[in-house]
Amino acid sequence: MENLLIEFLSNTGFALVDYRNIIMLLVGIIIIYLGVAKQYEPLLLVPIGFGMLIGNIPIIKDFGLGIYESGSFLNYVYYGVTHDIYPPLIFLGIGALTDFSTMLARPVLMLLGAAAQIGIFTTFLGALAIGFPPNEAASIGIIGGADGPTAIFLTAMLAPRLIGPIAVAAYSYMALVPVIQPPIMRLLTTRKERLIRMEEPREVSKREKIIFPIVGFLLCCFLAPAALPLLGMLFFGNLLKECVVVERLAKTARTSLIDIVTILLGVTVGASTQADVFLTRQSIGIFALGAFSFAIATASGVIFAKIMNLFLRKKINPLIGAAGVSAVPNSARVVQMVGQKEDPTNFLLMHAMAPNISGVIGSAIAAAILWSFMSL
Amino acid sequence: MSTDIQTLKSLDLFADLNFGELEQIAPLMHLMKVTEGEVLTRKGEPAGTFFIILSGNFMLSFKEERTFTLHNKGNIIGLSTVVTPFRYTGTAVALTDGLVLLMQGQDFLRLIQSNSALGDKIMQKINEIVSERMPYMTGAWEERRY
Amino acid sequence: MFGLEAIIAHDGLGISVIGISIVFVSLVLLSFAVSQIHKLIELWDKKNTSYQRVKKSQQKDQKTPSVSDLAIPQDVQKASRQFKLLIEWMGEPFPLPKLLDLSGKCGLSHPHSTINEFIKCELIIPAENGYYVWNKQLEEKRSST
Repeated sequence: MENLLIEFLSNTGFALVDYRNIIMLLVGIIIIYLGVAKQYEPLLLVPIGFGMLIGNIPIIKDFGLGIYESGSFLNYVYYGVTHDIYPPLIFLGIGALTDFSTMLARPVLMLLGAAAQIGIFTTFLGALAIGFPPNEAASIGIIGGADGPTAIFLTAMLAPRLIGPIAVAAYSYMALVPVIQPPIMRLLTTRKERLIRMEEPREVSKREKIIFPIVGFLLCCFLAPAALPLLGMLFFGNLLKECVVVERLAKTARTSLIDIVTILLGVTVGASTQADVFLTRQSIGIFALGAFSFAIATASGVIFAKIMNLFLRKKINPLIGAAGVSAVPNSARVVQMVGQKEDPTNFLLMHAMAPNISGVIGSAIAAAILWSFMSL
Repeated sequence: MSTDIQTLKSLDLFADLNFGELEQIAPLMHLMKVTEGEVLTRKGEPAGTFFIILSGNFMLSFKEERTFTLHNKGNIIGLSTVVTPFRYTGTAVALTDGLVLLMQGQDFLRLIQSNSALGDKIMQKINEIVSERMPYMTGAWEERRY
Repeated sequence: MFGLEAIIAHDGLGISVIGISIVFVSLVLLSFAVSQIHKLIELWDKKNTSYQRVKKSQQKDQKTPSVSDLAIPQDVQKASRQFKLLIEWMGEPFPLPKLLDLSGKCGLSHPHSTINEFIKCELIIPAENGYYVWNKQLEEKRSST
């Protein structure tokens, strides 16, 4: 009986815990705190944070409990991450809830969404330079796309063992958009530029909105077929929304479906950050490069907007270039916030949505290109 | 977003609102397809939803079967959702297939609660429409009856 | 391998330059396509309206125009006889819901949209107090031409 008790006690978390578990549990609690108290992307950070707690409870190996042990509950749910099931489903939901009309009204703003992807490729070079192999460098670079599902999608394909740190870095930086972007935006623009008022967009007809997802899908996927799972679902979701006749399906995609997938994705990504996998030198490099990627992406968008102004008759407010990173709609809100600090009557949100949404398309195409190159 | 901002901006009820205000309303409005003969509201029932016409033709009948028809984008059905007595005073029937935007009364009340200035702007417009429709609702033409 | 050596060894520059170029080309093409959608729709609408105009003018040539033809569509004219009988039976001014109810009971097809057409072409017009009457003047005008 004494032996039984000792055996039981030796199997408890208290006996198995090491300092790395404690660190990760603290990180999980901080992430939950950021989500709940600071309300930084709570829908993502709360599940990820709690997932970290789940993943870092010390357990006996081969007991069929851990996320990396086949047959465990977490392992089954994690299958959706490692086999790229969740990201396309999230894109379906995003398509079904996103209004593309501001982008359709002024398509030239889509170029800002392309410019912000420079961050991805610059970071890819940076990661190569500090010694990451090309497949891992590509997965790290995609953090600059500021799109969690895209980052997970590419990493699952190219560097599955890095899913945890890359997903957490991508989502953390997405949540920290209001902190990271404003100083860069202010640094790169003059007050006069920040005061520029954008012209009212033209009205976009219903037919245009219905035709767009079909044209957009065909064009993008002919050019970058590897983007098919992500962009196929994004444009399909948008068609559901715009064609009106399948409102029930659109509603499900933008509410229940995306919520369910977000829960499963968030918890499993969090749980995948087990201390022995997560607390490595590589993770520090990933986080540092992720921040760099994000900063470059923001700066590229703003600078490109300034370059566009050299040629445009009707000037655009360069702040909206920062929304080219695809953290929808967070970065567009940041643009609005920074713009309104200069002029409270200047509403940039609607205009910033155009590069913001095109950034989603741009980062999916960038991921597809990297995937294609790495598979060659 | 359930409804796009541009559609809302084109409606008379929301024409004076700025982008930020429209952004608050957009998620509360839902698009609905209606078919010929569909009943949107029934006289006497608790008013839980109000509708804004995007397309189609509708008939509103009130006390003693007094009726008027609505044919234009932006016309509103189900005002009792936001004004007393919070019970539909008329029956609304779709005369043709069409599209409407609908908002739950609960959502509207919450909107007023969270942004009273915005609620006030909308209520002013609604009150104008209510006063136009008042004779139909109350039958204030009593003396001039046929 | 580190630094420039690693970048060159893995053809990093090539991948980056081609990669960002493809992203730009994709979004430039998409932006161009998007900017043309509304123009194509306009063109399509114009083509349709001009086709209908030509068709109408051809029909005009075939028979002499009458006021009634211009004012009231054929199918509405046909249904008007049945609805007029119902209205005569109800008496005027009549409540619209009652006409709707009766027409449904009599098995007339699409009573809602037919009544809507009557209202739109002013064969049924609002009287006072929320009731409606049959527009005899318009009908007389039609029969006199």
